[in-house]
Amino acid sequence: MRKTNAIAVITILAAAMFSYAQNIQLPMKKDSVKFAVIGDNGTGDKPEYQIADKLTAAHQKFPFDFVVMMGDNLYGGEAPKDFGQKFEKPYKALLDIGVKFHATLGNHDDPSRQISYEKFNMGGKHYYSFKPKDGVRFFSLDSNYMDKKQLDWLENELKASGSEWKLVYFHHPIYSSGEKHGSNLELRTTLEPLFVKYGVDVVLTGHEHFYERIKPQNGINYFIVGSSGQLREGNIGKTELTAKGFDRDNAFMLAEISGDDMFFQVISRKGETVDSGNIKRAEKIKKITTSR
Amino acid sequence: MFFQCVMLAVMFIGAPHLTGVGPAKGDTDPAIKDFNDRVQRYWDLHKKVEDAAPPIDKKKEPDPAAIVAHERATADGIRAARMNAAEGDIFTPAVQKILVATIKQELSSGRGATARAMILGEGNPKNPESPARVDLVVNAKYPPNAPLSTVPPSVLLSLPKLPQGLEYRFVGRHLILYDSKANLIVDILRNAVR
Repeated sequence: MRKTNAIAVITILAAAMFSYAQNIQLPMKKDSVKFAVIGDNGTGDKPEYQIADKLTAAHQKFPFDFVVMMGDNLYGGEAPKDFGQKFEKPYKALLDIGVKFHATLGNHDDPSRQISYEKFNMGGKHYYSFKPKDGVRFFSLDSNYMDKKQLDWLENELKASGSEWKLVYFHHPIYSSGEKHGSNLELRTTLEPLFVKYGVDVVLTGHEHFYERIKPQNGINYFIVGSSGQLREGNIGKTELTAKGFDRDNAFMLAEISGDDMFFQVISRKGETVDSGNIKRAEKIKKITTSR
Repeated sequence: MFFQCVMLAVMFIGAPHLTGVGPAKGDTDPAIKDFNDRVQRYWDLHKKVEDAAPPIDKKKEPDPAAIVAHERATADGIRAARMNAAEGDIFTPAVQKILVATIKQELSSGRGATARAMILGEGNPKNPESPARVDLVVNAKYPPNAPLSTVPPSVLLSLPKLPQGLEYRFVGRHLILYDSKANLIVDILRNAVR
């Protein structure tokens, strides 16, 4: 036990040292909703561990309460040891200090095992919502299996959520410049009308193994964060959709909601800030300003 | 003792209650109605077996191990109760024709090409990008290291509804009825994508 504690202390100290290498710029306002975003991370390979270290380091300066996971949480086998190697070990320092992870299902995930896994906080459900604070609600969808039951649930949840910040996250991007996959038009046809109708503010996805911020579409801000373990280098094609793209290294995102603002900062494996900005939520018109 | 309980439970399965089951289209077709009844009987069996399986005891074992043990016990119980299950028991020849025609119709529609790509693309275990061996046998375990195909919403909204936990998935061009809680292949409809 003493040995475990010592390791945890060393990890946190190392993380604190690393945090100086990362220039965390978010406003870091008091009482804001602070969270991180990772996607396509569960490889168990070195880049996942390196991103996890950077995430841990960032937490020293920007103490986010929770992490949302964009799916492909565990690649390959899903035996008990895989949960350790591909999740519990890399994020141990964060788990130990009570940071919660809220997962969504990717196409490489085994739903039966992951939805019941306590540390993914899915409550035994393929899709769910949670409210970290009054005025902000997250909706996690299963984009692998978008049946009528799920669509009805989503519509009811969005309708009931009123004027809150609405952040929806799922695996397959409905807008993407990826040369490998690109925009999922099937899902877009099904989901976008609901997002527009009920005033969704932000949509977070993964699946493409890079980072991309899409120019707002019908007033909605779309992000792809799918390179927190995997990486498909040079895969962002030239399209009109891209506001900012990064496909040269692995990355994760930090975000913060305060009043009508959502600040975000995307950090690479080397600790560089590759994108940052502020989404302004003003009635139905959402403007985005970026600093990089 | 566990399997005796399961067998007993199977014997006493009552009339199916159809909550949560029903086709999106063609609900008056006798073949669809028969399919729904068969699905419900399977699901009633699943619930009885799962209730009889040792509960997930997270205090006794680490979380993932307890989940896997529960899943295995449920799968073993279902296999024992459906020892003689065969292809076509649920996907009967009559409903197969309807399901194949429904899928064909959706894949020939305006957004059919996208839907087809979604079914056969990465995630389908027969796709070269995500290859994994899946034995297409009734009662076989779906390998935990194999990805699950993504099913396009247009196709899902056209097929008969299933209880939560039972899913349509594709392995190559074959449609399977997949018990996602027991990780089992329940039935197979071969060459459903034509």
